[in-house]
Amino acid sequence: MLGISTKRLSWLGVPLLLSGCNFQARQSFVDPKGIVAQDQYDLFLLTVWVTAAIFALVGGALLWTVWRYREKKTDDPNTLPSQSHGNPLIEIGLIGVSVALLVVIAIPTLRLIWFTNDMPNDPESNLGSWFDGETAEGSDEEPLIILAKGWQWWFSFEYPQLGITTGNEFAIPAGKTVRIELRGEDVIHSFWLPKIAGKVDMIPGRNNNMWIRTDEPGYYYGQCAEYCGEAHAYMQFRTEVLSEEEFEKWVAERRETPKPPAGKDWNEFISLSASAPEELPDTDIVQGARHFFGKGTCVQCHTIDGTFAAGKLGPNLTHVADNRSLAAGWMENINPDGSINREQQLENLYEWVRNSEHIKPGNLMYYDPNGLQNVELSDQEVHQIAVFLQSLR
Amino acid sequence: MSHAHDTTAPLEHVPTGLDNKKLMMWLFLASDCMFFGTLITTHLVYRKIYENVGVDPIHIFDIELTTASSFILLMSSLFMALAVSAIHKGSIKSFRWNLVGVIIFGSLFLAGQVYEFNHFVTHAGLTISSGTFGSTFYVMTGTHGVHVALGLLWLVSWLCYSFSPRFNAHQHAIDIETAGLYWHFVDIVWIVIFTAVYLIEYV
Amino acid sequence: MSLSTTKTAAPPKSAPHEHDSSKAARSNLGLVRPDHTTGWKDWLTTVDHKKIGAMYAIFSLAFLIVGGVEALAIRAQLAFAENNLVSAETYNQLFTMHGTTMVFLAVMPLSSAFFNFLVPLQIGARDVAFPRLNAFSLWTFVAGAIVINLSWIFQAANAFGWFTPIDGRTDIVPSAGWFGYAPLTGDQYSGIGTDFWIFGLQVLGIASVAASLNFIVTIINFRAPGLKMMRLPVFIWMTLITSFLIIFAFPPITVALGELMFDRVFGANFFRVDQGGQPILWQHLFWVFGHPEVYILILPAMGIVSEILPVFSRKPLFGYSLIVFSGAVIGFLGFAVWSHHMFTTGLGKVATAAFSLLTMAIAVPTGVKIFNWIGTLWGGRIKFSVPMVFSLGFIWMFMMGGFSGIMHSAAPADAQQQDSYFVVAHFHYVLIGGSILSLLAGIYFWLPKMVGKMWYGKLGYWVSATVVVGLNVTFFPMHFLGMIGMPRRTHTYLEGTGWQPMNLVCTVGAFILAVGIFLFLWDLIRTIRKGPPAGDDPWDGRTLEWTIPSPPPSYNFARTPIVHSRDPLWAHKHGKASLRIGSVEPDPHGIHMPSQSWFPLLASAGFFVLGLSMALKQAGVPFCGYIAIAGLGITVLGIYLWALEGPGGFHVHPEETNS
Repeated sequence: MLGISTKRLSWLGVPLLLSGCNFQARQSFVDPKGIVAQDQYDLFLLTVWVTAAIFALVGGALLWTVWRYREKKTDDPNTLPSQSHGNPLIEIGLIGVSVALLVVIAIPTLRLIWFTNDMPNDPESNLGSWFDGETAEGSDEEPLIILAKGWQWWFSFEYPQLGITTGNEFAIPAGKTVRIELRGEDVIHSFWLPKIAGKVDMIPGRNNNMWIRTDEPGYYYGQCAEYCGEAHAYMQFRTEVLSEEEFEKWVAERRETPKPPAGKDWNEFISLSASAPEELPDTDIVQGARHFFGKGTCVQCHTIDGTFAAGKLGPNLTHVADNRSLAAGWMENINPDGSINREQQLENLYEWVRNSEHIKPGNLMYYDPNGLQNVELSDQEVHQIAVFLQSLR
Repeated sequence: MSHAHDTTAPLEHVPTGLDNKKLMMWLFLASDCMFFGTLITTHLVYRKIYENVGVDPIHIFDIELTTASSFILLMSSLFMALAVSAIHKGSIKSFRWNLVGVIIFGSLFLAGQVYEFNHFVTHAGLTISSGTFGSTFYVMTGTHGVHVALGLLWLVSWLCYSFSPRFNAHQHAIDIETAGLYWHFVDIVWIVIFTAVYLIEYV
Repeated sequence: MSLSTTKTAAPPKSAPHEHDSSKAARSNLGLVRPDHTTGWKDWLTTVDHKKIGAMYAIFSLAFLIVGGVEALAIRAQLAFAENNLVSAETYNQLFTMHGTTMVFLAVMPLSSAFFNFLVPLQIGARDVAFPRLNAFSLWTFVAGAIVINLSWIFQAANAFGWFTPIDGRTDIVPSAGWFGYAPLTGDQYSGIGTDFWIFGLQVLGIASVAASLNFIVTIINFRAPGLKMMRLPVFIWMTLITSFLIIFAFPPITVALGELMFDRVFGANFFRVDQGGQPILWQHLFWVFGHPEVYILILPAMGIVSEILPVFSRKPLFGYSLIVFSGAVIGFLGFAVWSHHMFTTGLGKVATAAFSLLTMAIAVPTGVKIFNWIGTLWGGRIKFSVPMVFSLGFIWMFMMGGFSGIMHSAAPADAQQQDSYFVVAHFHYVLIGGSILSLLAGIYFWLPKMVGKMWYGKLGYWVSATVVVGLNVTFFPMHFLGMIGMPRRTHTYLEGTGWQPMNLVCTVGAFILAVGIFLFLWDLIRTIRKGPPAGDDPWDGRTLEWTIPSPPPSYNFARTPIVHSRDPLWAHKHGKASLRIGSVEPDPHGIHMPSQSWFPLLASAGFFVLGLSMALKQAGVPFCGYIAIAGLGITVLGIYLWALEGPGGFHVHPEETNS
């Protein structure tokens, strides 16, 4: 976007790689995969080059001066060095050069401020693309909108056009511009998906938004980047970029309500569970579901679409077992090939429900007055809940 | 209060010719400008965006009363100027009477503010927790009131001290002038607050 | 030394004869003034700018150690992925207190130590304009510092079960970050730690503003005859600009903290979102203070280096007026760039662009200074004394911090760097590589003047090498950590992020840095105890402080000097006869010295009581509201006694025994 191709600049990475740092790390912004991140990276490299050049010149001049004018044994101690105290021409010249170098940075900076700020099909963004007339997407159709909310200490993602809500993991289609509306629900958080786009804050009482687009399907890692309290470090999220067909499949799957563990539908299951539990099969999954809706008090804060569990304070659990991580990304259950590790998932679900106060100190699932701190659950009951949660997919 | 701050070098070396205490008061007032500037900015920013839940300033304000008390405060500045002039002329008696005028008028203003606060809380239901308007209103005008009260304390102290045998019109004129600077500044700030908080609602 | 060869300006070096010290002086209140006391009484009641400066230095070095230990704990926790050395809450408290301590309790007061010690000496004055106010500033700073740090004691008491706040929260040490973003600092989301932070900072603000008013008046009104503004040492200029920054930057933070206090204590709604409050307002108010604060931390450092480079290059400062002017421009622009701390808050295009360009613009006056420092070295005869080595290290490290600063000014690129370790690397290069290196240079340069002892041995070079190596090993890898996505203020990270190796390197570097600081303290203590006599002018200095004995007598200058040029002592030693330092005929009554006083300390003690009891009131400790009012009463009482005791004073006759 800056008129300098990334390939030509990419050899900058060579000496850096030698320093033993993995620049392909999963949250690296120097390995951009989205158009916004790419532009930001190009601008970053430009600033690196300009400042590195100035540094080489000025630093070189400093070193040379210090070496050249060091005190020598041959110096006559009774004489003084030249007592010059200024030269307006040199001084003004150097100011001029610095200003010129800053202009080199300033022009692409201004361009990119406009470009990243406006949705590409927003007519105003033409201001930003004034330099090369390029826009990300000339399409007139309404973009996909995702409402991203930051909570202490997790993210929720709502797709108002699709009627889907997820917690901590969400998917976007490759090659499409997506508009993300950012909201802070309690304190200030920040939405940072380094490989796709730089961060924008989620501020309570303020409607921020950003847009992202990537052409490369994959599984991307993001994290809250604004200090938001005790468990800030644990507040992460994941983004899956899917090809268009796969995204449609994903949408269809996510809209489906998971099947109840017994009975023909959830209503029947719930009423049986309340009135005639002995008619239900005595399996872990059934018992887990009964605890979930009953003594576990999970439903006060969590939602499972299609059931009466409609709590809003915690992540939507409708397809929680389709996620490759748990506890806002802190507990992972992903195989090296990207598929879900079910054994690990079950273990994580158990650990999370059993020991959340140790895994994520300060979390509301435990510390809320209605939370697990006041609920007695045996290890077996927790295991049953974990088995039930794993069926939600 | 005499010798609020001690100057220790002989004044004949002062390169600016400006008395140390007076210079410091000017600098303090510059700093105080930023202080009130921030408070007033807060109010104006919130005024533009606040949700008007049950808070309608025009119905709360008693603009006649506030206008009258503003006038009283401004008149106290006149007495202050006369007091400074008197002390420079060495007329301690005239200085005292004018200072009494400042103190009475300042106290009247303060009493008006106390009445106003009390009235707002008890009758209009405007408390510090009434939206952001209640917060910015009470904190800003209250901060100004504290400035007035401190000024009164300072001037009352001078009035008392003027009866002390150590009081010397020639020597203390500069201290009175410094206190006067403060007093005038507090008045000027009130003009800005009166405009930005009260009058602006009637535009 | 060379001055003694000129008859007119020979400063007498004998001990003063204090003619009226035989009977105790009484104040207007009839109380005995604590003049001519010794030991701790003398230190508590002193109004001597040199002793006050020394106490600022001692307290700030102590807090430098406290902040350093906090930093080491932070680094130890981050050395390994998924480490559990400290809990999340403790970690948050550590980084909050580390930032607060280093900014407000270490670097600012260390700069203040130099202001206090040097301003009167470099402008040829007897003391600062308001000596008792100066003592008040010192003790109020100490009061605020103790209030904030007492929270650790209450946290410990909580751990033993002796103290529990009424809301049951255990975050008694501030843990919302040194920037205290609302609404995290609101009463819904944080405990009384935030109250300790608010009240401590308010008290510190009073101290800073009072001290700055004092310095401005001193610099404007107390210059020796002939010392025009454009002849002032650059350090004095930077002090003046810094003081102006303080008096204009602290009111916004005072108001912001006040609004937050009203929210927490009296139920106001400034930052309550559900009542229409706007958290973003806090950020604006905080950074309107916070960015000038950055220059408050770095401008004194630039002044120190501008004094040291000419001495060891044996050349005048290159482009004096441009350096002074660029300092003023930095100070002015410093108020116009605050929103670059908020590039990710959705400011909108125009505001982002404006602040982006202004931030780039501020690089120009900063660059001017670097060019001029190199110009000063150019053609000189550079002597690598320890202060010079630190100063050269300063230029180098400060440049590195400055360049990453330019990278941040490009707002879209900053969207990736903001709140990542890239920023942490940037400002530690500026604050350690800039401020701390230069303050260390200043200590190596002026300590001989302050205590009359000279450094000996080579330890100083080892200190500089260890500190610079430690700094780079710790913070250079942080640039890369930021680039590979590590956010700030996270107490741990997953193994899979790939952040572990670099973090381990940083931790090793932090301990190297700590060894450097330890070596420095050792060098400092052994020099004060056993250093050889320094003499009046050990470095072949250029400015007035080197014309008087080391350590300076209580009255500083036996005769007020008359100055005819910039770098007066240098001109005196090496210039034309017409530029020699003259002297004002001494007053036959002797030099007037101010009396010492207990009352500044008393007024400050009131602030201590007020701040601490307000914080404890929030914890629900009974009677604290009354104690707070009593504290305010103590302050008012202190001020009245201070006002009514009269300035007092006595005369010393430095030349009486000399002749």
